[in-house]
Amino acid sequence: MTGTSKFSGVSRRNFLVGAAAGVTAAAMPTWGRLANAAGKNHLNVGLIGFSVVNTLDPQKAGLNSDFWALSAMFNGLMRILPDGSVEPDLAESVSQENDTTYVFALRKGVKFHNGEELTAEDVKFTLDRVLSEETASPNRAKFQAIEQVEARDKYTVVLRLSVPSVPVITHLHNGVTGSQIISKKAFEDMGAEAFSKAPVGTGPFKIKEWRPSERLEMVAHTDYFRAGEPKVASCDILLIAEETSGGTAMLAGDIDVASTIPFADAPQLEADPNITISRMAGANWRYCALNLTKAPFDDANFRRAVSMAFNREAVVKAAIFGEGTPMQGAIPSYLKTAYATYERPVCQFNPERARAEMAKGKYGEGTEAVVLTWGSGWWKRWTEIFVANVNQVLNTKFSVEVTDANVAFQRYKAMEIDAENTGWIGRMELDEYIGDCFRTDASRNFYKYSNTKVDELIDAGRSEFNPVKRGELYRMAEDLIVEDCPVIFAFNNNAHNMWRKGVEGFVPTPGQHLGSQLGPVSVPS
Amino acid sequence: MGFIWYLIIRLGGALVTIAIGAVFVFILMQLIPGDPAIAALGENATDENVAAFRRMHGLDQPLPVQFWIWLSGIAQGDFGKSITLAQGYPVWDLMVQRLPNTLFIAVYALVIAVVISFFAGSIAALRQGRMSDTAATSASILGISMPDFWLSYVLILVFSLGLGVLPAFGFTSPLESFSGALVNGALPAFAIAAPMAGVFARILRAALLETKRKDYVTAARSFGFRDTFVYMHYIFRNALIPFVTVIGVQVRYLVGGTVIIERIFGIAGLGSMMVDGAFGRDYAVVQACMLAFLVFVLGVNLIVDIICAFLDPRRTH
Amino acid sequence: MAESTFSPKRLAREILRNRSATAGVAIIGFMALAMIFGPSFLPYDPNGMDFMAILEVPSWTHPFGTDAVGRDVLARVLYGARISMLVTIIGVSLGGAAGTLIGMTSGFVGRWVDPVVMRFVDLLMAFPIFVLALFLMLVLGFGIQPVIFAIALVYVPNFARLARNTTLAVKEEPYVQAARLMGQSNLRIMLREILPNIAAPMFVQLTVGFAFGIVIEAGLSFLGLGVQPPDPSLGVVMADGKDYFLAHPWVITLTGLTLMVIILGLNLLGDGLRDILDPRLRKRSMA
Repeated sequence: MTGTSKFSGVSRRNFLVGAAAGVTAAAMPTWGRLANAAGKNHLNVGLIGFSVVNTLDPQKAGLNSDFWALSAMFNGLMRILPDGSVEPDLAESVSQENDTTYVFALRKGVKFHNGEELTAEDVKFTLDRVLSEETASPNRAKFQAIEQVEARDKYTVVLRLSVPSVPVITHLHNGVTGSQIISKKAFEDMGAEAFSKAPVGTGPFKIKEWRPSERLEMVAHTDYFRAGEPKVASCDILLIAEETSGGTAMLAGDIDVASTIPFADAPQLEADPNITISRMAGANWRYCALNLTKAPFDDANFRRAVSMAFNREAVVKAAIFGEGTPMQGAIPSYLKTAYATYERPVCQFNPERARAEMAKGKYGEGTEAVVLTWGSGWWKRWTEIFVANVNQVLNTKFSVEVTDANVAFQRYKAMEIDAENTGWIGRMELDEYIGDCFRTDASRNFYKYSNTKVDELIDAGRSEFNPVKRGELYRMAEDLIVEDCPVIFAFNNNAHNMWRKGVEGFVPTPGQHLGSQLGPVSVPS
Repeated sequence: MGFIWYLIIRLGGALVTIAIGAVFVFILMQLIPGDPAIAALGENATDENVAAFRRMHGLDQPLPVQFWIWLSGIAQGDFGKSITLAQGYPVWDLMVQRLPNTLFIAVYALVIAVVISFFAGSIAALRQGRMSDTAATSASILGISMPDFWLSYVLILVFSLGLGVLPAFGFTSPLESFSGALVNGALPAFAIAAPMAGVFARILRAALLETKRKDYVTAARSFGFRDTFVYMHYIFRNALIPFVTVIGVQVRYLVGGTVIIERIFGIAGLGSMMVDGAFGRDYAVVQACMLAFLVFVLGVNLIVDIICAFLDPRRTH
Repeated sequence: MAESTFSPKRLAREILRNRSATAGVAIIGFMALAMIFGPSFLPYDPNGMDFMAILEVPSWTHPFGTDAVGRDVLARVLYGARISMLVTIIGVSLGGAAGTLIGMTSGFVGRWVDPVVMRFVDLLMAFPIFVLALFLMLVLGFGIQPVIFAIALVYVPNFARLARNTTLAVKEEPYVQAARLMGQSNLRIMLREILPNIAAPMFVQLTVGFAFGIVIEAGLSFLGLGVQPPDPSLGVVMADGKDYFLAHPWVITLTGLTLMVIILGLNLLGDGLRDILDPRLRKRSMA
């Protein structure tokens, strides 16, 4: 965790605003919707920095924001605890008949929002739906190891895999997974389109109204299987596209709970006695992806040189105001079993070694490359710093190109780039950081990295059930990857959560799967 | 008779413009690079996902076919369905949710601008050359020179964070709480209104000065009518035409202004939806928003022309 | 017709006599000097990052403070204003030239050309100006050239309509009729007889166009669509400032203030020129 003390600007922040912030929250009258909801045991949740929740159908959902929102209305067979461990959720227990056969005993008496009881048929229906080609689920790839889903009896589901796979089981949690269990009957009665707007799950909240790109209104699911939850009668998830507005909304008391806050505003919000902020290393990693098939990044020496010329501390300090940690690999620190605690020289800022490394390779001073990025704010800023920094150390001629996110991702997938700053957030499974991104032909290995030794280690890791041994396998793979340097590893940013005074029961997690955290949250009466 | 004909011709012209506008907007959207499938399916989508998505939403059809489907839909009141903002959600429903907010902010801003400019312009013209004239005129030109998006942040700084009297975020639909919308909409409306008020005040001042010198005003004065009476009945009334006309001209800046302002203040309006839609390549949504803006601007201009025609019937000929 | 042909000396004299034009020239002159010579007096590179001096409050060493990567904001504002002005001037002038040509032709030729051209002009003018610019950026891609092009395109209809209306008024004047009777070609008449006589209102429109053009540039860059790093523009610096506006409001505030002063100067100058060049224009709207 990087403290704010490292950050010189904060201590001198404008006294006017600093002093006024507290006043604002206290003195501001609440109006309209908020006033209506006051005293009715209502929770307002801010989803900051996102303007779109595209669908509430878990199998169809693909955007992080889709899952952040819809996870309030669903459960997975498994769930992830704040410490990162996985435990059964809709399942009561999980057992293995052999390496490739899992048996899930379901909880009895779990009710869907429509009053129907959850049975093995619903689970089978859901998982078959993710796997079916017809559904065209963007989440299908995660479950490809599943060969067959069997409803053995009313409360028993059996998964048969083609290969032993730990990731498949993790992917059954209520996150960016697409495996949230839906009601078969409701889905068949309503049809896919109606269901995507008013889904029927088992989660603590059920949908009341969805106003796209604005808010999601939900009411408590009184038959929720966790006794005593949800604690509030109703809950709105508000989409706040402009990050700075998230801070002002919190200060003004428009929202009770939020995940992700503008990095720049963290100290400011922290100073407000009415607001609690939690920060922890987040489930994310930021890096500069390189096109390995063409000059100049087809040369490993040059890639390593760039990596060593890159001052990650400066980016963390200036781009995200110290709210993060430099990374020397793909695995974020919350995945403790695999996280490398030793130094990897390729990822250490060292101008002399960087220049020496460049001298060994094909490309030298004056080499041109375009680093693609998108958006504005801190995301653009870190690209700017990265490029200026590398140019200064290596005397290269890198430049920044900015486009919009859609075009950037399209070009990234097609590798119509030299380099692109990118990253993943909210991933809970170790394999998503290594296997999905670096195994030969893996789903997110757009840069076509391939190393047979790495592949072997990944395959071994996927089927290793002992968490410690598994972590070690992935770390060894990461060691090799870092040496090859197919991407420039950059940083991991803090996962922030904030809530207003009096709000209780909100347990922050590195994954920030906001919706799934709302069940135990209560507001002051 | 002449007036009815005038109306029919103007209405017909507007319809033709809207029809050409529809084609123009459709082509413009198609020219934008990028892929709605990426916006909808996110980072995990495979090529098969993308292909299935395109098939499902008819994006694999030839463009003329897509255009025809869209156009014939509109003719039947069906604006299509959203694909990336809210997959499968009828665009019309989205518009119905958001139109009141945008209209409210636009009208709110217009009212503020008209009220401010009425006083500023009148004072400046009646006390021409004196301190109050200089003050009002300077304030007007200062208003015109302030970019609305910058003004928004300054207003937030002063009124929300500094004084703590007006909220910086969180809009309430006027349909839910009118007073809430008035309070929550105050800063955004003022940010849009300030530059407009400057323009209006200047026009009003110039028009008033011109009519003040007219013969019938001198005549009215010589009859011994009270100053306020002369002002309201002779001067102001005749200065109204350029004043009303400029509202018609300004409406395109007004609507354009809502685009950034809605985002800054978190107002769920048409402007912010259009921007989100454009970045998400949600064709039907963006096209519908653009058409709505077109209809709004043309509609206001039509109303302005009608008012002017009433004020000065010679115009219809 | 002599009254509206340009004579630099007379124009300068008239400007000095007109209060608002004088003020405008003074402001623009001061800003121009600051933009042109300022950066070389400042000991900072507008793109030079200094991680030891992040987000410093305004002081004597950094009059506008520093931004998130320790760049001197004043240096960035002055250098950025250069780029903003350049983009705007080129964009509006291009749009003005094209629009004038189109409008003049449309008004002069008449027949079926005029209603068709005017229909398109009406269409473009019915779109909210900023919306149109935003879409053009998405189509053209981000960067300096696309901004110039977007600004130009946004201004074509304004100039076209004005040029057409003034051409219609001038067209029936005896000297144009005379040129026609003498058998001069249309092109010659337009360039030799009409253009000089509609130049004054077009020139006024150009000044006013600069004032709003720079707002468009700033707005697009503010949304991240315009000028791209490492180059600053006023909108870019403001967009940077927006990011940490709650805790460090001076970056966006002071940059916006500079922008406002520039626009103010242009508006004052436009007002003055309008009075000087064509008193009858005074009552028309500034759009």
